[in-house]
Amino acid sequence: MARFTETECMICLAARLLEDRKTVFVGWGIPQVVAMLAERLYTPNLTQVFEFGAIGPRSLTPFVRGTMGGPSNVYRSLQWTTMNWAFAYAATGYLDYGMIGALQVDPYGNVNSTLLGGSYDRPKRRFPGSGGGNEVASLCWKTIVVLKHEPRRFVEQLDFMTSPGYLTGPGAREAAGLPRGTGPYRVVTSQALFGFDDETRHMRLLGVLRGLSADQVTRGMGFAPVVAEKVEVLEPPTWEELAVLREAIDPSRMIIGRDAG
Amino acid sequence: MKILASGESVYHWVHPDDFREWVRLHKSREATDKLMTEHEAVSRFVADGDYLAYDFSSLTRGPQALVREIIRQRRRHLWICAEFTLHESALLVGAGCVDRIDVGFLGYGDYIGRAVVEGRVRVFEWTNGALAARMLAGARGLPFMPMRNLVGTDTFVRSGARVVADPFGADPVCLVPALHPDVFIVHVHQADISGNARIFGTNLFALEAAMASKKVIVSAEEIVDPLEFRKEPAKTTIPHFLVSAVVHLPFGAYPGGVPGRYELDLEQIQQLNAIETEEQVQAYLEAFVYSVRSHAELLEQKVGWGRLADMIRRGSIKEGYA
Repeated sequence: MARFTETECMICLAARLLEDRKTVFVGWGIPQVVAMLAERLYTPNLTQVFEFGAIGPRSLTPFVRGTMGGPSNVYRSLQWTTMNWAFAYAATGYLDYGMIGALQVDPYGNVNSTLLGGSYDRPKRRFPGSGGGNEVASLCWKTIVVLKHEPRRFVEQLDFMTSPGYLTGPGAREAAGLPRGTGPYRVVTSQALFGFDDETRHMRLLGVLRGLSADQVTRGMGFAPVVAEKVEVLEPPTWEELAVLREAIDPSRMIIGRDAG
Repeated sequence: MKILASGESVYHWVHPDDFREWVRLHKSREATDKLMTEHEAVSRFVADGDYLAYDFSSLTRGPQALVREIIRQRRRHLWICAEFTLHESALLVGAGCVDRIDVGFLGYGDYIGRAVVEGRVRVFEWTNGALAARMLAGARGLPFMPMRNLVGTDTFVRSGARVVADPFGADPVCLVPALHPDVFIVHVHQADISGNARIFGTNLFALEAAMASKKVIVSAEEIVDPLEFRKEPAKTTIPHFLVSAVVHLPFGAYPGGVPGRYELDLEQIQQLNAIETEEQVQAYLEAFVYSVRSHAELLEQKVGWGRLADMIRRGSIKEGYA
């Protein structure tokens, strides 16, 4: 079995969730790398949408950390437009998937990307905030949240709710005015895959990385997720996935790290 | 219309009729020569206390030379629209130019985060889409724009938005107030001396912001003949009567890139990414902003032709940028 970093594993597990011949709204950072990997190996006909107005790019590698909108990033798009139009595609239901990162996630898939600790006026740490994450989580049909596997990031109560999951439970999104039939679909880390219970909208453990148990991956989480009757075994990154990540997408290993391999 | 919920934050607000009045009195309909230096443009059109917006991003076609000039002229108490912002917000805050930030996306690194934590700058929560919608409302002469998201979250609570009952249906809908920045700065591929401007590639809301802002400074890689715009009118991003000043600034996005022209200076970007402490930000400002008098001096004395030529060489993707 290949050796790999946590970040590599998270990216590979996330890339396997995307569906070919569909559309995906790609958030800043890790989701960009996930979409690039998916496009190269699994979903060659996936239309990516970037919030600044690039529709359907065939992004070139290597990926430069922090860039969004550079020429290799938006190479051979179907359309170049502007932010108001990019979000309009999401608002009118054209975007099947959305993918965003998170600092914290709660049992209903609500996401914090704004601050940690303290109060709003005096947080312990301040982060970038919503960016377009609130739009993605609100307007795309199915939202995928990608985050590091640290149990302390799974909390009963978020320090700040930046972007909506199922809010307080069944019916809450619609009651708040969010578009019908939308919501979080998967939460994926380097060790686990979660979905949401259709009835309760509560997070549900669907899969664990080969070699780990349900107990091991959920230990220390701030809430107990429902555990699916049959928990799927998630295969670790393949040589092929790692080769694309390391040789094409991120040869400088700025994003995926160097601890292994 | 019944207000169901109100965000608690203050927001920058200009009545649509007051903005129309401003346009009537201050924006010239005539295609006059507005070409000037960055020093003159910033001294005339950026004032202490102004609300400042910009386009596009720190690494791509950002108006970095104009941002540095604002810092050099030590403007104070600016309120900035932090959309797609990485290094410029950190530099503006580090230079003491800014005390309020509408977020957007407040990237990145520890320096700007710490400035918020320590209370040196106040932030107001919006989203990229909400700020773009506010700009669109401003550009349409409307008092507000409805949107489907923002509702249900703490982001809404800490914003200046409202939730009302949709008067046509019954569902809750979010309203965000129009945004009329005092000044919008944008770096473009081509402009003529009156301010007609072309951006090749994507932009955030260049047209909306130029329409909705009281003062608009365009810096351009290249100054072209006005006839070029009339030959290919579909390529005009911003028409001249929205624009206050035009500055010819080749490499005006440095250390970022301009698509189709040059790639970013990765070494300089990494230096910016590494800024965490007060000492580091002040050292950077001293080395690359205060110690030179102009953008031309920065390029000549601090960057040098070798590095610029390398940026041009690496900017090999031309498709779509003409």
